[in-house]
Amino acid sequence: MSFLGNSKELLLAYSGMKEQSLSHSVNIMLTPQFYTLKKEELPLKYLYQAKNIASSLFDGFLEDAHKYDYLVYKEENEWIFIAYDLEAISNFLISKGIKPEQVGKIFFAQQASSSFTAPVLLGEREALVSLDNTVVIIPKIALDEKSEAVVFDDSFTPKTGVTPQGAHSSLLSQKQTIGLAAFFMLFAFMFFVEGWRYSHDTQATQEEMQMLLDEHPSLQSQYTRESIAAKYKTIDKNERKKREIVKTLAGMIFKGVKVGSFSLNEKAFQVEFICSDAKVAKRLIQLAKKSEFNSAKIMTGNVVHIEEKL
Amino acid sequence: MNWKLYKNELIVALALLLMLSGFFYKNTQISSGTQEMLSTKHAVREFRELVSLQKTWSNKNMSKKVDKLEKIVPPSKVKWSKKGKKLTAVYKDLDPKELNKLITTILSMAVQIQELKINRNNSSYDVEFKYKW
Repeated sequence: MSFLGNSKELLLAYSGMKEQSLSHSVNIMLTPQFYTLKKEELPLKYLYQAKNIASSLFDGFLEDAHKYDYLVYKEENEWIFIAYDLEAISNFLISKGIKPEQVGKIFFAQQASSSFTAPVLLGEREALVSLDNTVVIIPKIALDEKSEAVVFDDSFTPKTGVTPQGAHSSLLSQKQTIGLAAFFMLFAFMFFVEGWRYSHDTQATQEEMQMLLDEHPSLQSQYTRESIAAKYKTIDKNERKKREIVKTLAGMIFKGVKVGSFSLNEKAFQVEFICSDAKVAKRLIQLAKKSEFNSAKIMTGNVVHIEEKL
Repeated sequence: MNWKLYKNELIVALALLLMLSGFFYKNTQISSGTQEMLSTKHAVREFRELVSLQKTWSNKNMSKKVDKLEKIVPPSKVKWSKKGKKLTAVYKDLDPKELNKLITTILSMAVQIQELKINRNNSSYDVEFKYKW
């Protein structure tokens, strides 16, 4: 199985050819019997422009019942337009024993006009010749008696040809192929990028950890870190609690309330508020309960006493 | 067999294969990386927290910072005793304004309060505190 189409055997296809029995794939060169040729000198710069106008150039020349494709290329100052019916060609090849899957590329004799330096015989009655750079079929009797026919071989293979898309039983059209392949490739790209991102994130986090370890060599050991963390977390928690209590108690001082005494240590605190009257003391008790100081109670002389553990 | 017969299908199959490879690559990265990354991220967060706690509660400049508590009220009202990283201070006859200023300053410092006492004495306050850093 060769992946290079041009290295295959080149077979000249003409209406009177013999039936073939092929065991391998071949490239096909078609005689003018299978295509319509037009040469035009047009002020066009790009190939796509020429391709766009190809169908209009053949208006009135081709049978409407057929579906034509076009091969366009430039030769010196002229644009060469070749119209062909791929289905008709395919049917012809099948009738000659050439299965669609055995066809590599299809070429047109006109593409190899420069190779037709001498006539190529098509059976016993006709010959393929190049006249004024146009490959045509002429009767053999019209040939000059002195001219010698050349053998048609692979050297006639042009550089570019037509891949018979749709001529054989492919399940997917070219458009469907491009669409599906693009869809899958897009997702493939997204998956790879996402995968790379995850991998990169993990790496970045590890680098960050290493940087921290380098900056703090004393914390290299996990055991040391856990020990220090436990110590400072306890300190942080306790000290925040002490400050929160002082802040809450300060917020309970309003008109008619004075701090009589306050004492705070590592384990507990107690406070005595001197209230101006019983009403103020009662209100203070309510405030204390709201702040979850449930031990708050009124002592003699409108003194509110709170004593809690930390 | 002419490979061109199946060229379109082959292209689509290759693209599909590439997509599946990408999908499995991503899943592998996620399954192997996520657990490791979460664990490392957690470790980094803990580390940063530890460094921050250590910086807060073991501040080397704290010894100088606490000295301003001595000057917050007139010297006659203060009895000051600083030994190493421990401080004991007794304040007498503070008016409410001085008391507020003193307490606010103490609470804003990252020191470990061992003891804090406030006693009302007529219209003034006596304060005693012990702390370390």
